[in-house]
Amino acid sequence: MNSKKNEQPFAAVILSKAHDKKEANQIFTDKVQLRPLFLTPTSPPPSDAREVRRRRAQQKKQAARKRLKPKPLSSSQRRELGLYDVPREGQKYALFEPLHNLWLGYIREILGNEIYTGGEGAASKLCSADFHGAEVEVVRSGCVSRVGIMGIVIKDSKFAFEIITKKNVLKLVPKEGTVFRFRVPVQNQQQTETTKAEGNTGSGQQTDEKMEGLETTATTTTAPPDKPPPSMVFEIHGEQFRFRPTDRATRKFRAHFSKRL
Amino acid sequence: MLPFSPPSVYQTSKCFATHGKMGHLVPNQVPSKSKPWTTFASQDFIHRADLIIPQEVFEMVREALINAPAPQYKRVVMSLADIIEPDFMGKYIKSGSIAMLSEGRMGVDNVFTLRQGILTMYLDKAAYEQTGIVGKPHGAKGDRGLKPRWVVEIDLNSASMSPGKKGFNRLVYAAKNALGQPLRWLLYHLADSTPTPDPLVKHNPTTFTVNPSISQNLNTSVPDLKIAIDTNMPKARAKEDFEDISTEFYEWLSLVRLQSPRIQPRDQINHYLCRYQVPGDNIQEQKLCKISWHGFLPPWWARQTLVDILTTLPSKTWFSLSTTTFSKGLSGDNAECTILRLPDSGGEYLLWEVKSHE
Repeated sequence: MNSKKNEQPFAAVILSKAHDKKEANQIFTDKVQLRPLFLTPTSPPPSDAREVRRRRAQQKKQAARKRLKPKPLSSSQRRELGLYDVPREGQKYALFEPLHNLWLGYIREILGNEIYTGGEGAASKLCSADFHGAEVEVVRSGCVSRVGIMGIVIKDSKFAFEIITKKNVLKLVPKEGTVFRFRVPVQNQQQTETTKAEGNTGSGQQTDEKMEGLETTATTTTAPPDKPPPSMVFEIHGEQFRFRPTDRATRKFRAHFSKRL
Repeated sequence: MLPFSPPSVYQTSKCFATHGKMGHLVPNQVPSKSKPWTTFASQDFIHRADLIIPQEVFEMVREALINAPAPQYKRVVMSLADIIEPDFMGKYIKSGSIAMLSEGRMGVDNVFTLRQGILTMYLDKAAYEQTGIVGKPHGAKGDRGLKPRWVVEIDLNSASMSPGKKGFNRLVYAAKNALGQPLRWLLYHLADSTPTPDPLVKHNPTTFTVNPSISQNLNTSVPDLKIAIDTNMPKARAKEDFEDISTEFYEWLSLVRLQSPRIQPRDQINHYLCRYQVPGDNIQEQKLCKISWHGFLPPWWARQTLVDILTTLPSKTWFSLSTTTFSKGLSGDNAECTILRLPDSGGEYLLWEVKSHE
């Protein structure tokens, strides 16, 4: 123990072998005993403005993501889970007919008297209406094979309508470049000569409306069986309608020129 | 709507001249593979036809062509839905050879033609998108975004075009919704095979007879109808020479068809007003006869007439038959086919085919 205390440190011994005494002492004190020990190599952070901004944006994003708990599903996850798929037993036209009747009641309630007159007021109401359960027919389309698809709307998503046809086939019809025609039969107590009212809407390119007139010679209370009941027919240009129903409710539609037409 | 008009490409009509030799005609067999016959068969419906022959052979032609039963065509107002009715389809389209043309100009309106069972619809963009049957773009290529036109071809003779099948149902749907308006049609059907009871009767067709109009004893100066191209010349020179000769003959033939006074023998027009001269040095004076038909005739009528002429006339005489089709497109140019058989040549002919811009 005594020998250990009196012994010089190993570094000093080696240094004294290479340098003379004064120098060895100096080197030993500067570079060995008082050697600076860096705790974190990159601190403090660089004071570059770009770096500062980048860090701040990253922190903000992480904070936002932290707020969305639980995290929303990605599209592939959604597809895998199949939450919005209609099961095979559920793909029946007959199942959705009550929904269609509900929709008819809803639309008649919304339109009120404008079901007879058509026009701008009806157009704006229809633009914000919901179309789940509507009977739709594809009338014109850039992809010609879609023309003639007719059925009840099951799902109204941002870019497409999911339609179930009378033959119990589920069809997904994109809204782009397609014109859809909807028909709302008018409930009458007695038949009167209804006039055609051409819809001259402010949201001009979005909806076109027509009234189908039915002429009778005498006042009858029931419709002749072979003629379709009088109804309000309107067409929607899918190009201008590519919004989710929730977003559409509050949207103000403006007339847009369409290159396709 | 948009401030500028859709693009239109105007191309001038092109004329293709052919110099060839016809083979012998086998009786009862209409040739269909070689050059003058394919050209006549590829035409659309014929509007006018002219036949020019020397007066001497008129009598021979009279029995064959003029005393034969004249072709008839009908004009009727129908819609597309009437045409694809099972009654009409079974009796006329599937069994017989019927040719129909609807009203309208091809580049502007929606025009339908029915020929050998193939229904061709020339539609604009709105009508095409509402019809729902797949077709091909029609017209000048390039810049297709602005209102192109479309052609839809449907073979009504095929087995898939019967009531109940999917393809046919699409056509029925289109005829009911998008193409439902009644149009005037010109209809040609062989008179001897009219079905009974006739499904056309309820549409009240008007029948027209195409009687040939004859102009006889036209005094004309006829050039030497001979093509003499020196085969020792270089090819480019020979081609130019042929172009000159064929253009001169075609010009002379057109003037004969118009019965122009410029080709009369003693024409005394001031050369400041007209510089035309009958081509060649050896100009003879002959009497010619011109027979013309004006109506709605299918292209196989032209082929049949050509066969009749070839079998009737002696092989040494010359003749010229020209057929003009209905015009297509905005400019109204017609397509035309003219054949001139040279005299004493053993079947040598010149054929001009004028193709209009589609």
